[in-house]
Amino acid sequence: MKFVDPRHDRWHRVEGEDGPLAQPDPQAHRLLTLEQWHAVRETWPHGLPTGLILPNTLDVDTLAEDLRGPRARLSLVVLQFPKWTDGRAYSQARVLRARHRFDGELRAVGEVLVDMLPLLQRTGFDAVQLRHDQNLDAAVRALGFFAGHYQGDVTQPRPAFARDLSAELAAARDGAELFAGQGI
Amino acid sequence: MYQYTDFDRRFVRARAVQFRDQLRRHLDGELPDDDFRPLRLQNGWYVQRHAPMLRVAVPYGELSSRQLHQLARIAREFDRDYGHFTTRQNLQFNWIPLPRAADVMDLLAEVDMHGIQTSGNCIRNITTDALAGIAPDEVVDPRPYAEILRQWSTLHPEFAFLPRKFKIAIFGATEDRAATAWHDIGLQLLKNAAGEVGFKVLVGGGMGRTPIVGSIVGDFVPWQQILVYIEAIVRVYNRLGRRDNLYKARIKILVKAEGQAFADAVNAEFRHILQHDQEGAAHLIPRSELDRVAGSFQLPPGLDAQRAPSAATAPHTLPVAYRRWLERNVHAHRLPAYRAVTLSLKRAGHAPGDATGDQMDRAAELATRFSHGELRVTHDQNLLLPWVRDDELQALWLAAREAGFATPNIGLLTDMIACPGGDFCALANARSIPVAAAISERFEDLDRLYDIGDIDLHLSGCINSCGHHHSGHIGILGVDKDGAEWYQITLAGSDGSRLSGDATPGKVIGPSFAAEEVPDVIEAVIETYRRERRPGERFIDTSRRLGPLPFRAAADAVRRTTAPAVA
Repeated sequence: MKFVDPRHDRWHRVEGEDGPLAQPDPQAHRLLTLEQWHAVRETWPHGLPTGLILPNTLDVDTLAEDLRGPRARLSLVVLQFPKWTDGRAYSQARVLRARHRFDGELRAVGEVLVDMLPLLQRTGFDAVQLRHDQNLDAAVRALGFFAGHYQGDVTQPRPAFARDLSAELAAARDGAELFAGQGI
Repeated sequence: MYQYTDFDRRFVRARAVQFRDQLRRHLDGELPDDDFRPLRLQNGWYVQRHAPMLRVAVPYGELSSRQLHQLARIAREFDRDYGHFTTRQNLQFNWIPLPRAADVMDLLAEVDMHGIQTSGNCIRNITTDALAGIAPDEVVDPRPYAEILRQWSTLHPEFAFLPRKFKIAIFGATEDRAATAWHDIGLQLLKNAAGEVGFKVLVGGGMGRTPIVGSIVGDFVPWQQILVYIEAIVRVYNRLGRRDNLYKARIKILVKAEGQAFADAVNAEFRHILQHDQEGAAHLIPRSELDRVAGSFQLPPGLDAQRAPSAATAPHTLPVAYRRWLERNVHAHRLPAYRAVTLSLKRAGHAPGDATGDQMDRAAELATRFSHGELRVTHDQNLLLPWVRDDELQALWLAAREAGFATPNIGLLTDMIACPGGDFCALANARSIPVAAAISERFEDLDRLYDIGDIDLHLSGCINSCGHHHSGHIGILGVDKDGAEWYQITLAGSDGSRLSGDATPGKVIGPSFAAEEVPDVIEAVIETYRRERRPGERFIDTSRRLGPLPFRAAADAVRRTTAPAVA
């Protein structure tokens, strides 16, 4: 999991005084809104590293063409948590990864708290911009409590019943004892 | 019962460790209330009127003696020595101080228990028929499927923050004893003409302020596909369910608003998962997994399935109290020499569904002695012993009577469902327990109770409907008007059981009543039934045949402090 520091982020929004510019000009590492992307998509150069920030109400199937295969055009997709208890972006992330095979960076922004990290990781996020008050040590620890889960997810698509659990547990034994000690 | 594997134990242990870490950060001031709340909710900790309430998950209601002894210990050492069994087959504690929460979770984990997803906007404990695996009318045992669903839904990473809570119930008999049509997803196990097992899938049932019965979305989903099918349903809900209004956030509102479009979206999502998703077919349940889980639900070791039934004793030679208990609290079993026996938690001096630590120990001892160490928590807030030999019934009756569990009232008026109400619950508008007590006192005469016969009386302290008032033959709902407690009465609701008919909400009979009027109103309604009934008619039959008017007139006639609405 990559922890994004917004002060040192190479991705930039294209905004003027009144919000996002309607017709951004093509440059690398621009992070575009959906409206901007729709406005420039036809003329936007292929091969330019491009990111999109999406509302959590969007059906990501509508972006299918831009996400995968030789014609993939997006290097970064940013999904939003306006409130941390609004879980729509988890479904968006999972569908982006599992259905559309999006293999660029998938980043969570908004109200992102350390205790969301296991869910974010398992639904396919590989980068997060934590809320400013969050503790990085707690974030790293939050990812270490469970040796395995029942249902499949993006990092482990097969459910427990289709895996060799005894081998998994044997491999995880030391880690489990460690995190038991960490919690207290 | 399901037997935990190493993986299951490590998982629950890891959850307890994770919760201890979160609790410590909260108590240290690192995790503010707003950030801690959803985390504690998803571990069963819900802050109530007096203290945090802990709701312990009892998956599909199955408990062992060992687990119940541990719950008794928690009641004694951490609570004020009692707990409350709920309509969702769980157990709630009311008085445990939050700083001790992590210690309780460790004790639960010792006996393979936890509070995972018993609260919060996530997939809750899956409930089923209390007679699952033992009912004579069973077509398919739902417990292995309930366990597979439990595992699939446990810490599902995509569905931890849904628009609202999400409840699944499942049954596999000819009679629905799990009120499945009232759930977000109701599942019925069926066999088709070829003998293959599948599910009828209802979606969008629920109570609350908008009572709606579930709609059929899948007629026959083959059992192998059920996880994928439910994933499709919940994903559609997570994406499209309303989040702007708490009261319109349940899936029932989405299903009602979208109609066929909802079913189409689910079926399209289901096809997408199987056809397009990476390892989308990995969640098709293999026969080997069903067999592995079903292996836990074989007969208890030492039980003799071939044992011949004992010779029946002529009923007239038995004590009348025992005969009544046999009639009401003892149920037929698929094995001819065995019975299922309900331990009534509806008795004078106790809130419906409550048990003290000592009573929990006593119930666990009865299970050890008479039922291979297994109990069930029933949907109507009693305990049930599933494996009782027919030649041990009298010994069980004597022991149960001694322990205060033998009130022969199962299915009768005093066997009412009631939520904890305003005495405990921060949401409630009105108290439930004193009203339940007043009604029980009014109807304590057993001859009269038997004459009234089968009836479902359901009592909720507020519109959230934890006491299932919508589905009661008589429903009582606590409402708040100008800061005072009032009670609305409904008639002829149904949970979907054979006795009650197709699931439907009851109809209101007039303006609300004052608390002190309620026992008189219930009595007036009951007396109307006794006067008007035809031979063989139960309360629900007569109330449906006559409609609400005669009952309303009788109820209005006993108003003292309230006035009937002008017609």
